[in-house]
Amino acid sequence: MAPSATPDSPPATPISDNEENSLQPFFVLHKGVPQISERKASGPGKTRRKICLSPTSPTAAEKSKVDVVDEEDGHQYKQLRIEAFDLVWSRIENTIKDVLREINISVFDEIHSWLRQCFSTIRSSGTPGVSEITRSYPLFTDLTCRQIFTGLVFTRNVEFVDDLLTFQELGEHLKSCGCHVCNLSSLDFSTKNGLGGCLRSLLRRLVMVTPETADIAILASWYCEEGNCSPLVVIIDDMERCSGSVLAEFIMLLSEWVIKIPVILIMGITTTIDAPRSLLPSNALQKLCPCKFTLGSPAERMDSIVEAVLLKSCFGFTVGYKVANFLRNYFLKQDGTVTSFIRALKIACAKHFYMEPLSFMARGFLEDDSQSFWSAKCVHLPEGVLKCAFDLPSCEKNKMAEETSENLANGLSDLKNSVKNWASVVLCLYEAGKFQNMLLLDILCEALDPALCNSNALDNHVEIGNDSAKPSSLDHYPLGGQYAGLRKGSFISQAVSRVRDLPLVPLSQLLKNWRKQSKEITELQDKVKELQSMLKHEENGKSLTRAAADTLKRPSRSAWNMEKDTKTVNDKAARLMLYMVRKYLKPIECVPFHEIICFKLVDILQSTLIGDPRRRIQLDLLNSRNYLQCNCCSKSGDAILPSMHDTSILYTLAQEHGDLINLHDWFQSFKTIVLQPITKGKQKVKKSPSSKKGKYMNDSQDTSEALIQARFCRALTELRITGLFRMPSKRRPDFVQRVAFGL
Amino acid sequence: MIWKDLGRLSRMIIHLRRLSTLRAVNSQRIAPRELPSSEMYHFFWIRRETKVSDSLLGAENFFFPEEMVDEETPQVTKRMTRSCFSTTHSNSSTETRKKSDPRPLSTTDDSVIGEEPTNLDTLLSCFPGRRLQIVELLHLIGPLNCPMLPLFLYGGASTGKTSILLQVFRHLKRPFVYSSCRTCYNPRILFESTLNQLLLHRRNMENSYSSAKRCERPADFVNFLREALTDFINNLKGYVRKSNLKESVEQGDGRMVYLIFDSVELIRGWDKNSGIISLLFKLHDILKMPDVGLIFISNTSPDTYYSNTGYVEPIPVHFPDYKEDDLIQIFMRNQKNQKLYSSFLETVLRPFSRITKQADELSTAFQPLFEKYCEPISDMGIAPNDDMKRMLFGHLRPHIASALNEVFKVSSVSSVKVEAIEDKARRKDSIMKLGTGDASNELDLHLSISAKYLLISAFLASRNRATLDASLFDSTGGSDSRKRRRKSSGTTMEHKENAEKEMLMKGPGTFPLERLLAVFQCLISVDESSVEEEQQAASQLESEDREMRLMSDVLLQLSTLCNANFISKGGSCPLEGSTRYRCNVSEEMAMKVARRLKFPLSKLSAAKFAELLMVYVFHTGSDSILIFHVDVFQTWGGGISRSPCASISAP
Repeated sequence: MAPSATPDSPPATPISDNEENSLQPFFVLHKGVPQISERKASGPGKTRRKICLSPTSPTAAEKSKVDVVDEEDGHQYKQLRIEAFDLVWSRIENTIKDVLREINISVFDEIHSWLRQCFSTIRSSGTPGVSEITRSYPLFTDLTCRQIFTGLVFTRNVEFVDDLLTFQELGEHLKSCGCHVCNLSSLDFSTKNGLGGCLRSLLRRLVMVTPETADIAILASWYCEEGNCSPLVVIIDDMERCSGSVLAEFIMLLSEWVIKIPVILIMGITTTIDAPRSLLPSNALQKLCPCKFTLGSPAERMDSIVEAVLLKSCFGFTVGYKVANFLRNYFLKQDGTVTSFIRALKIACAKHFYMEPLSFMARGFLEDDSQSFWSAKCVHLPEGVLKCAFDLPSCEKNKMAEETSENLANGLSDLKNSVKNWASVVLCLYEAGKFQNMLLLDILCEALDPALCNSNALDNHVEIGNDSAKPSSLDHYPLGGQYAGLRKGSFISQAVSRVRDLPLVPLSQLLKNWRKQSKEITELQDKVKELQSMLKHEENGKSLTRAAADTLKRPSRSAWNMEKDTKTVNDKAARLMLYMVRKYLKPIECVPFHEIICFKLVDILQSTLIGDPRRRIQLDLLNSRNYLQCNCCSKSGDAILPSMHDTSILYTLAQEHGDLINLHDWFQSFKTIVLQPITKGKQKVKKSPSSKKGKYMNDSQDTSEALIQARFCRALTELRITGLFRMPSKRRPDFVQRVAFGL
Repeated sequence: MIWKDLGRLSRMIIHLRRLSTLRAVNSQRIAPRELPSSEMYHFFWIRRETKVSDSLLGAENFFFPEEMVDEETPQVTKRMTRSCFSTTHSNSSTETRKKSDPRPLSTTDDSVIGEEPTNLDTLLSCFPGRRLQIVELLHLIGPLNCPMLPLFLYGGASTGKTSILLQVFRHLKRPFVYSSCRTCYNPRILFESTLNQLLLHRRNMENSYSSAKRCERPADFVNFLREALTDFINNLKGYVRKSNLKESVEQGDGRMVYLIFDSVELIRGWDKNSGIISLLFKLHDILKMPDVGLIFISNTSPDTYYSNTGYVEPIPVHFPDYKEDDLIQIFMRNQKNQKLYSSFLETVLRPFSRITKQADELSTAFQPLFEKYCEPISDMGIAPNDDMKRMLFGHLRPHIASALNEVFKVSSVSSVKVEAIEDKARRKDSIMKLGTGDASNELDLHLSISAKYLLISAFLASRNRATLDASLFDSTGGSDSRKRRRKSSGTTMEHKENAEKEMLMKGPGTFPLERLLAVFQCLISVDESSVEEEQQAASQLESEDREMRLMSDVLLQLSTLCNANFISKGGSCPLEGSTRYRCNVSEEMAMKVARRLKFPLSKLSAAKFAELLMVYVFHTGSDSILIFHVDVFQTWGGGISRSPCASISAP
């Protein structure tokens, strides 16, 4: 379907360009995003006013802050923030790219080795000479060799956007390994252009000439000139979207040349293994010798991106609970692509740095020695900015100290440490949750919940003496669902209870992972080490007792003992887990100064991402006066005036009707409205379909009749183009039908 | 005057020749197989002798008028073309010609198919079960320098038409031009490729891979072809004259050139095919060059070409499908362990040959099976005894049934590095290898929740009649709807049955966008409550808002599903509301999706379907109809499955 394909269609662009392009529809349909793009271009004053206009503007307190900062030396800080954004986002983007590449690389290598194997199979019967390749008739070979080796790469996601880049990279990878590579997309296999179209683009990409006739013989002679010694890989991104007949012809054609030109196909499949079966006729299927490869699923990619961007290292930007939840829901329910997740993240990041006056401080998170960076910076901060910082809601809550620059710097360092600790605990939880196939995103969302913090704080107050003094106190921690801070059935409590039931081997694995994850927190490190030694001791003991049991044939007692011991280790591990959750899992929204790095405004993100264009169009048509703000309409309230835009009049009139609208009635009421003398504009018009008939002035009748009809037609066409109406059908020539839903 | 006379003479001669050849053809048509080959050979041998001795020409002229044409028409054309040549031809083409060897094409400078020309015995042994066809071909092509009528080779896919013809020419060592209409997929490429081969033009970097001649119209093609052919034949003759006459005769080059057009049946599918097929068939009459032999190869019989518009019908040569014995011979050819393989074939060939007799399909099916068959054996050189055969058969038997159903078998590479991803994939594969393709209950595919609901609603809209919608999706939700349905099913049994029969025959129905959206909204609202429970606290957003958001880009999801071929779309303009959709998803797949959502799809549709089938079978009570309906069922269910009958006959 063309309309949806357009935003994602440019396949050859790298991700950043791609994002810009795919943002395009939002520029058109929605007014949220343009502010981002204008941000860099226009002066500070103008944009600021704009954001006040926006329906989802920040709270009043924040607005005033913006004013304060901007009035003083807005421009300087704006510049700083822009720099900070560029820096932070470029770091994040690079990390994402690395992560994605990391995920794919093993599959790529696998494909490459398979490719080599195929090539040697093709060439096992000898390399054909130049004259053999270029001749027109097929080589006489054994039947089995006539198949084309085909790699089916399963992307495991119906949405294809994520994998454009993947196949691009696969192409690059194979090219660097010395293959001739040609990336084709489904656009090349359209019924319109037929076989000639796809051969032409194949030749254009490989041979670099645009021949008059796209003859495969050209490829053959080119291949001879190229040295005749490396496989020729044709990558087709999205096989399902290709026209089946064209693809089948292409395959049949290639199969006639397969020994002469060692073509190996790689096809991306977004759905199931049935796709080629249903798309291709059996004679074409017969020519393929398929092999299956599987890319990482979107959920896996998502987890590794989240891990790298939000948890592994702090880039000076993170998201709040609601935003994370929104992103998660958007991913699971609406879109399901990593691309849109990244896009959302980018929008959030840009919004954050644009709106949060102190966000330039976030640069410090990227420095090695953040503390000194902040101390140096904070000294030079003017009074207003400092005040601004201590006026942040999170600071107001627990008014700690005087508003000095040192305090700010210290607060920021604390923030950094807290985020780090929090992240390592989340990762530990994730390690445990992996045994239950939990998604990191789920755990993350839960760990960000500020409610968690409140309950934790409560508990901490109660048991404060205990837990700070002796670490052994974690034995006192109740387990699982009884624990007040965790909701029953929540992901975190599930993970904890899972730890309890783990068998020995996974448990030791888990502890090893924990040790890796909790490098930052020495206290945890020690405890994990302790547990590990315990476990090791038991393992030894177990193997000993097992040996003993084997010889003595009396397993019962000792084995039972062992069981119990393992259980105690499990318990200890679970308790440790809980302890970690309590002490370190402090959601970022509970930490002072978190506003500097944390983006919480879910409404902005939502309205930006989910443009909801249809609803928007309808609303705007009904309330056009809000946008036009002309004099004539502002006073008249809801009444329909002739000075309104024709389309708007027509649509407002349509509200009176049901699904079917009689064209004649509609036109008559339109005419009534339009011909209404402007002087009487303020009087309300009752425009029931039947109440019209000659209110208009007779003198202008003949001239305006045609004009009005033309205006009516144009307005109706516009409505039709926006997709709100369907034209009269043959069965009911007098009626138009409303098609829009949702309002 | 002389020219005129000559022209008249040649016309007369052609007429005579036609008569004589037609006679020959008739005699062959009556009894091509019964005619003892020695006699046929004798006939040709006479002709051959006459040709060798030029002095004899006059006397035998009447009986073998071709020879005379050979002598005369080329002279005419030679002169004509020479004058043409100097004026019209571009320099480049002459240069390329001069550079290249005068004796062109396949037979000498490069090996046709192997290194040496094969003798008749090896030729025959190469193609088991094709002796008749080869001999017939040799007869029809005739001895050296013997004009021939156009030939038409036909027979099913993979019956050896092309290979045998090419090998025959290798055996005969004669020059030919081969163009496959598969490779040359439009008239222009076909023309240019033929001309390129005749003009010995080679595409390369220097001429930026262009053809020798730009030739789009059939008329141009005929002119160019005539020029190229005369030129080519003259070259051949020059070569023949230069070398020792006898030698060349023995070597078998001659001065004939043959034009082979493969896969002619494809031309019928070309856009503007009207002229091309008849042009090719008429080429013989148009060119009137006795030194040119025309051979067509086609999948379909000559009757499928609406021919006979005034040209000489080509002589048909039929290649029938291989018999089982032939297949055994074919597959036994290059096997190392003959005994082992023959015991393997015994078990496998019979069931498979009931489905297909195409050698290539069989060989791709047999390859993995044979590997399976050999698995228990350590020594590959072993000659199996009866016990062993039985054991091996037992080992193989479970795999045969599944292989029978599988046209398209996907394997996967097992690598040393085991990552989590591949591990998962492999586990899935191991399930698949056990036979049934999609045994896994899991949906190995990421679909967003709204897309899943949309898919299910499309499935329901496609499988249920629109009149049922109201009773199925009531505002009160699923529980009530079931009651209603039962009530309605009790009313008019017969009427409903008829309607369902009709539905069974028609396959999934189509539906307009509005209906899809309505069903979708119903499903969402029904499901809203359950989702709510699932994540009550996690989502603090009000349900109304969420529903709205699910609606917002539902059309985007729809287009995604269309792109994935889950839903197909009819109609052209998306602005017109009249587009109708149809759900292509198999029931199995829909069930998987529903299971993911914990949506009670089976209540709404699934059971009904199977029940429908069973009811119908009970009514008809005949096996053949059962098979037919299972076939229908399968074609809806999962695309085209190849052998529904086989799968039924197996148990």
